[in-house]
Amino acid sequence: MKTFTNVNARDLRQAVARSADARQSGQAASFAGGGSDLLALMKERIVRPDVIVSLKPIKGLDQLTPGGGGITIGGLITLDALSRDARIHRQYAVLAEAAASVATPQIRNVGTLAGNLCQRPWCWYYRNGFPCLKAGGSQCFSVSGENQFHAIFGGGPSYIVHPSDTAPALVALDATFRIVGPSGEREVPAADFFVLPRQNAAAENVLANDELLASVHVPTAAGGMRSMYEKVLDREAWTHAVVSAAVVLRMDGQTCRDARVVLGGVAPIPWRLPEVERLLTGQRITEEVAARAGELAVAGARPLAKNGYKVPLTNALVRRTVLELARRA
Amino acid sequence: MRSSRGLKAVGRNVLRKDGVEKVSGAARYIDDLSFPNLLHARTIRSTIPSGHVVDIQYHGDTTGFTIVDHRDVPGRNIVALIDDDQPCLAERTIRHFAEPIVLLAHENRERLNAVDVQIAYREATPNFDPAASKTSFKTIAIEKGSLDEGFAAADVVVEGEYRAGHQEQLYIEPNGAIAVPAGGGITLYGSMQCPYYVHRALKVLLGLPDHKVRVIQTETGGGFGGKEEYPSMIAGHAALLALKAGRPVKLVYDRVEDMVATTKRHPAVIHHRTGVTRDGRLTAIDIDALFDGGAYATLSAVVLSRGLIHASGPYRCDHVRIRGRAVMTNTPPNGAFRGFGAPQTQLAAEIHMDRIAGQLGLDPVRVREINALRPGDTTATGQRLGDCSALQVLRAAVERSAFKRRRRALAGTNRGIGLALFFHGSGFTGGGEVALASKASLALTGRGARIFVASTEIGQGTRTMHAQIVADTLGVPYDCVEVNAADTGEVPNSGPTVASRTCMVVGRILQRCAEEMRERLGTLTPGEYLRTHGPLVITKQYEKSSAIAWDDHSYRGDAYGSYGWACDVVEVEVDPDTWQVKPTAFTTVHEIGKAIHPMLASGQIEGGSAQGIGYALFEEVVMRDGRMANCQLTNYIVPTTLDTPAIDVVMLENPYKHGPFGAKGVGEMPIDGPAPAIINALRHMGIDLREIPATPEKIMAASAERTGSGITKSRSARRYTKPSSKTLHALREKP
Ligand SMILES: Cc1cc2nc3c(=O)[nH]c(=O)nc-3n(C[C@H](O)[C@H](O)[C@H](O)COP(=O)(O)OP(=O)(O)OC[C@H]3O[C@@H](n4cnc5c(N)ncnc54)[C@H](O)[C@@H]3O)c2cc1C
Ligand code: SF4
Repeated sequence: MKTFTNVNARDLRQAVARSADARQSGQAASFAGGGSDLLALMKERIVRPDVIVSLKPIKGLDQLTPGGGGITIGGLITLDALSRDARIHRQYAVLAEAAASVATPQIRNVGTLAGNLCQRPWCWYYRNGFPCLKAGGSQCFSVSGENQFHAIFGGGPSYIVHPSDTAPALVALDATFRIVGPSGEREVPAADFFVLPRQNAAAENVLANDELLASVHVPTAAGGMRSMYEKVLDREAWTHAVVSAAVVLRMDGQTCRDARVVLGGVAPIPWRLPEVERLLTGQRITEEVAARAGELAVAGARPLAKNGYKVPLTNALVRRTVLELARRA
Repeated sequence: MRSSRGLKAVGRNVLRKDGVEKVSGAARYIDDLSFPNLLHARTIRSTIPSGHVVDIQYHGDTTGFTIVDHRDVPGRNIVALIDDDQPCLAERTIRHFAEPIVLLAHENRERLNAVDVQIAYREATPNFDPAASKTSFKTIAIEKGSLDEGFAAADVVVEGEYRAGHQEQLYIEPNGAIAVPAGGGITLYGSMQCPYYVHRALKVLLGLPDHKVRVIQTETGGGFGGKEEYPSMIAGHAALLALKAGRPVKLVYDRVEDMVATTKRHPAVIHHRTGVTRDGRLTAIDIDALFDGGAYATLSAVVLSRGLIHASGPYRCDHVRIRGRAVMTNTPPNGAFRGFGAPQTQLAAEIHMDRIAGQLGLDPVRVREINALRPGDTTATGQRLGDCSALQVLRAAVERSAFKRRRRALAGTNRGIGLALFFHGSGFTGGGEVALASKASLALTGRGARIFVASTEIGQGTRTMHAQIVADTLGVPYDCVEVNAADTGEVPNSGPTVASRTCMVVGRILQRCAEEMRERLGTLTPGEYLRTHGPLVITKQYEKSSAIAWDDHSYRGDAYGSYGWACDVVEVEVDPDTWQVKPTAFTTVHEIGKAIHPMLASGQIEGGSAQGIGYALFEEVVMRDGRMANCQLTNYIVPTTLDTPAIDVVMLENPYKHGPFGAKGVGEMPIDGPAPAIINALRHMGIDLREIPATPEKIMAASAERTGSGITKSRSARRYTKPSSKTLHALREKP
């Protein structure tokens, strides 16, 4: 690992300033939450910051604050705390379940929500130090190489899948992200936070240099709303989603009034399925409707040489998650 | 056995000798050690699978660096083992990706990593297909009776081909070594299984006499065979740098380097052709096995040998032919791994056995009962068995798991149950133990005795188990027996810590030392003896029982002093959407002679079974252009405790008369059975699989074949749907 300086930030403004200072003096800077992803990347020499601005000491950034027609979740909350909070469980089960499905207890104890949303890709090539697009290079090795875990939607020129479990959940909950940077603050809808490689091949989100993700706001759950997160993984724990589905339904008796269906593990961003949502809205969710939802979910899939299995898997996952959620009392 | 006086240590779960230090964090592993003036080292490896080195260029500041290449080797540039074909540092020819070419050392790790070494190659066409290989490391044929006669007596002939992939040992602590120059020679500290293998390899590489090389095993975080031969390589590298620099050098791999560069289990393709009568008796067995050795011979010859000797399974048959080859390909060399060839061949034998049962319309238990070896029978090599517990373990496992009832109950559901009957020879194959001529010493101390062996503690309990044997033989409390470090400067060569030999073979030599010591003591206490007669050290060497005879030329005779016997029964559940397989119940019955330390023995069986589940279902080494593509813990998937069911371990004891207190080996056998038992459980559900790892992709394809429906275009490997145990439940409970 390259030697670096650690800066403990007092507040958001100072964090941003220290990052900008470093950059202006020609040094590379990185923000750190729990560091569980950042340190691994540094040990493999994939990122080599001279300065780490640690956000952990910032007071209050790990809190849940009701208000503003919903709840604001500080970016520094640990995944474990998020997954255990009673309010989140009650109102936003999809988020609690997504956070609880991440990795292992150890990682959930140190990993933060912001860090989880900003983690870098887990493509084997990137993590093995290949000079690919994500590492500032000019080619993608997976497209004609090992791509069994890669995108079936929205790929090109990079074919990563977005690795965060909490991301599809927050998109499904219509969350808003608060970004703080050198020129002040801005808010973006969760869905607009993530960017496709064709917009920017080197990054996964809209954060500019020295900008950080401060908090996330989730609107109050509407009456009749229920949600769940379903994740297919390689073994029972400790791996990213092969395919996952975040589903939010507003039910009126047996009839669905509104729906959000967002997939993880299939695209470089959380992959929302508006056609499926339209199909479900106004319908009684029967086995047949759920089956159609599954079919529709994969209608536009474009698998690579080795990830064709994700198509039937995604189909089955959408079908059974929608059905299961609709049937829940 | 020597049970006249009550056993106080043997058969009891005494405290581990290394327990307190390990749980308290006091135990020091190789990367915990440091020396004054220490240099850190880095290995520059080939980035092509086959070709020649044309040019080497260094970019960056190399002042103050120690740089070593093949020209710096003072002795012979080989990793001395069986065939001397593997260079310690490649000279011109490159045979595999990640072959070591240049070594760098510097005191500052950051500077060490900043240097960029560019190697130009002339590439050659690599071969990754063992069937197309033109280089054989070893060919073996075992013959018994006459195949013609056997097949003439058959009513039915069953044929099949079975495949197993690579497997990574995945010890927790990666390979590492520290070399310290000392008096014109070298002292080497390292994580290893076999200090005297390293000792010999260093003497040859450095051209040094015996006394100038000293090898000290540091606390070792697991081996599984992966630290049998590879430590000789990394030790050589550290030593070359240390000698050139005149300073201590530390070389510790990170996980990626360890996965990419070091040995794995041999992939194998095994073909069976079997003659059988209508009522289920085996009349002829013809087996052909192909092992992928990778780029250099390493231990391929002996892995093949053990594999073939176990290839016909624990079954009687008068007419047997077993042929096999281990060949070269342009992948990193494959080598020792727990089971040593037997997991591959017994996978094939046990899947084949279920297919035979299926073809004859017999129950899998019945066909095994008919053919299981019994006392007095001969094995494929013609070894006449005195004791043999194949039938006992089979019957015990079938009863305990309610196999027959469960098999009926699960029929037609998304669950299945399967079994595997297997055996494993303890100790070196054939004349191996005689050639090793292992020695062990016991020194009298004021309180009891101190053990001197080169056998290593790698987590399996060597120190504890040896101390138990000595304590009860000598008649002193367990706490009064100490175990010396495995330091070639202090201990005799008790042979490598491999082949399930450390208890049965080395333990027995120690027991003989203790027996003599007890005689010498007579009525004196250790303290009294020392005061009266002075120091007492007893050294004994391995003695072959006269009953054991082996002919290496014809491959006939007593392949092993004794065998352990075991039977696994596994229940699995398959998710109909994701094709993931989840083992839900696991029963295993092992006959191991005598469990010196029941908890440790049972731990070996549980651990080996879990590793076997990984082999069967999870662990897939993705080789791309001869390079492991998934060389990280996040993408080489091993099972966690959530992926392995509770393992119900039953140990039966049938004492072996030449083992200490009747003990045989236990370390390797448990990994032979889980894979075939799991594949047979899938077969019970109608899924005809003949290959591991049984990834969802393969299961989906096999199921689609069966039902004629469904999705076959899918490719690859995914597994577990997590959360909704609720959803899964709902699916399961459906009628
Ligand atoms: C073995 C393993 C398994 C895993 N499995 C899963 C899984 O199943 N699901 C899943 O979702 N994740 C998984 N992860 C990823 C894990 O969730 C992340 O490591 C963790 O959430 C990151 O949180 P952190 O606070 O430690 O982030 P850090 O390591 O501190 O940061 C991660 C990245 O985000 C940047 N960053 C951090 N905070 C901010 C901020 N406030 N604003 C802008 N940028 C920021 C950092 O610069 C860095 O690039 C796994 C990781 C490992 C090692
Ligand atoms: S998919 Fe993305 S991360 Fe992977 S090799 Fe291609 S560009 Fe790199």
